[in-house]
Amino acid sequence: MNEPATLQERRRYYREEWNVKKLPDFIKEGMEQREFGFDHLGKGPNDRYRIFRSLEYLKRFMRYKSPFAAYCSVAFYDKPFKRADWIKSELIFDVDAKDIPIRTCMCDNVCEVCLGEAKEIVSGLIDTLKGDLGLKDIHVIYSGRGYHLRVLDETVMKMDSDIRAQILKYLVGSEVPRSEYGTEGEKYQLEHFSIPFGYPKVFTQRFKYAVLHLTPNIEMENISPALFKKVLKNRTYLLTDEWGLFRKNIGPINYKKLVKEIGALNMGLVDAKVSIDLKRILRLPTSLHSKVSMKCMEVQNIEKFDPFKEAVPKFVYERDD
Amino acid sequence: MVSVAFLNPLSDKAEQIVRDIGDLSKIYDKNSDLIHAVDTSKSQSMSDNQNIPENYVELAIKRMEWYIKKKNDKNYNYKDYAFLFNREITRFDVVAFFILAQAIGIKFNSNSRESKLFVDLQGNIIEERLEELSISERRDVCQKILDELILQDNVKWTFLEEILSSKKISLHELILDKGEIILDKEDFLERFSDKISHRNPERMYELLIGDPVKELIMIKMIMQKTEDYVKKVNEMSQKVEPHPYLLEVGEKISKILSENIKYYTTSHGGMKGFKLNSEAFPPCIKLTLNGVESGNRNDAIVLLLTSFLSYARLYPSIFRDNVSVKISDVDPELKITQNEILPLIYDAAQRCNPPLFDDDPQEKLNITAKLGFGVHELPEIKNEGESKWYTPMSCDKIKIHLPALCKPDKTCKKIGNPLSYYKSKSWQLNKQGDNKEKSSKDKDKNNVDKSKSDQDNVNKVINPSPDKSVKNTKEADTLNGSDFN
Ligand code: SF4
Ligand SMILES: [Zn+2]
Repeated sequence: MNEPATLQERRRYYREEWNVKKLPDFIKEGMEQREFGFDHLGKGPNDRYRIFRSLEYLKRFMRYKSPFAAYCSVAFYDKPFKRADWIKSELIFDVDAKDIPIRTCMCDNVCEVCLGEAKEIVSGLIDTLKGDLGLKDIHVIYSGRGYHLRVLDETVMKMDSDIRAQILKYLVGSEVPRSEYGTEGEKYQLEHFSIPFGYPKVFTQRFKYAVLHLTPNIEMENISPALFKKVLKNRTYLLTDEWGLFRKNIGPINYKKLVKEIGALNMGLVDAKVSIDLKRILRLPTSLHSKVSMKCMEVQNIEKFDPFKEAVPKFVYERDD
Repeated sequence: MVSVAFLNPLSDKAEQIVRDIGDLSKIYDKNSDLIHAVDTSKSQSMSDNQNIPENYVELAIKRMEWYIKKKNDKNYNYKDYAFLFNREITRFDVVAFFILAQAIGIKFNSNSRESKLFVDLQGNIIEERLEELSISERRDVCQKILDELILQDNVKWTFLEEILSSKKISLHELILDKGEIILDKEDFLERFSDKISHRNPERMYELLIGDPVKELIMIKMIMQKTEDYVKKVNEMSQKVEPHPYLLEVGEKISKILSENIKYYTTSHGGMKGFKLNSEAFPPCIKLTLNGVESGNRNDAIVLLLTSFLSYARLYPSIFRDNVSVKISDVDPELKITQNEILPLIYDAAQRCNPPLFDDDPQEKLNITAKLGFGVHELPEIKNEGESKWYTPMSCDKIKIHLPALCKPDKTCKKIGNPLSYYKSKSWQLNKQGDNKEKSSKDKDKNNVDKSKSDQDNVNKVINPSPDKSVKNTKEADTLNGSDFN
């Protein structure tokens, strides 16, 4: 990762490279209903309750102040300057590469490997948002250290925290699907991997991803070292979707344990606090993430996106070292 | 053929029935058709004339009584109320439903426990009525009702917003595809047959969706409609003078409810209120009492501590008893609430960093609201029921909302809610205390010591030694949230 940006560099960025017109449309429209916040000193955003009635005002502010970090609310208000009279909020999923529970890189901040993994996770979440939940108007933002998924579909913007938490659990696969089904008194065993649609399928995908990315340093509370070893040894079956064999080899009781544990781990894929918070402020796309000297920006094509090519501001290339 | 109105009193059919009968002035008249329908109900017990409703109002009251008894009375006998499950009663039942809904809507707030009880009752009665039907009747009537409730061919999951938010159904229990909830068999086969291998798709439909999910959605939707209806009546009643008969029924309901709830809850000792034993508080509550940093501050005080302390002090068995109580059932003049509970909450609020009410004075109103007294500065009897008396959130929820406060210890392993922790731990501590007492020769002295140590504990809560106060937030503020990526 890059060195933090100096005040000089920030000024250069906002005067020479940044362009207020490049703000994504979803921010520009209804901008006057959002609360803005700024961090001028690199100590957290304590300049809050700001509003901008036009792009011109925002442009001048950014040029003049060149803030360390800029944020705007996910919420729309009638009185954004008081954070009052809430109208609606974007639905947010925040995947921070540093906080992914299962990473193969073992770096202590973020690196190309975990950012790549974050990208993979985000793609999975988008598929489920669109395919299962049928949501539209989804935007992916590279935050500087991971990705923000911002959903502006009108059908979800007014939803409360409780439903948002449920959506989150559905997306990340944290609830273990039941494996017993019954009609009229008879019980049938039906494991998630034999149900190729709906939530069981989502869970199967997340479970597979997690198991295939497990590294020996990951601690799982209820999984003994012996079982952990067994899982690593047998996980190649998942590559070919031989679930039955995988389950048989580690044993059905162990399998149950594993499924539960992975479900709990998956809860950490996305920062839940961000998703349930209706009044949070999020880093403003196009602004500079000064701590790592990268641009926060909207990503058009997540498959092709490479932050180290597209999100590096010019001044970084011109540094001496 | 069973009428949809038997299950859904808000269907067009049912409305037709009510319109035909119309006149409110007749609801107290003795109705021989009704009596006949009751008399001829299968397995109806006739031993007690008290059991037989003779007019619409009595039938309405019987409906409430049935549900309260069924929930609380160990000697509840289905046969006393068998007529409620006789389809011949439909046209009277529908009228009784509307009498109840309107009386409740007029007299009580839409968040009151009376309204809640009524909605639950409706859900329950549908469930039991379904049990009385044959499989084919059941399927048939459920389909008809769903067709009426769901006008478009497919239901979007977002359509169930309120049901999801109230946790009546979880999102992951539904089969979703492209935003739609899959209920219909043909639709299911069309979408998924290709994907299913090694199994029979029809069988899979039966197992995964079939009747149970459809019935669940049907019931929850009718409950939601009932709730909406009561709310509408409540709003209307502010503008239009209600019929005196309905006011009277409202009075009756209020009376049987408070009598019954008092009776059933005190009979197993749930209702006295207990002195707080701070030693038995779970780790998350202890941390909160010590003051919380800005990140978790508002939620910790308003959402967690307020409901925890009020229930722990007034009604720790709420989860076991599964009744709906209000604070005034236990603390009729709100003396305990005002003199014991609120000071503890306010004190913890001001111990936060920065002190809660300095930044957010309106949080006082939110605390009042969480106790069930609406959005007001202080709890007052006259506002009770404007909001719900919130039960403490579950450990699962705390782990999401306030992860920094959850520092589980041994007792936490056995419980799912801080209040259950408190109950189980106080019980343990009491037992230990008793044992100690038995082994001690000087009983009296011991008792004195014990009450003194209780006092100490409360003092400890009120004045925790500053060195013990824990800084336990690492991240951004939820309410004033921000992202430090
Ligand atoms: S497990 Fe529950 S009771 Fe224990 S500290 Fe965590 S939230 Fe509190
Ligand atoms: Zn890394």
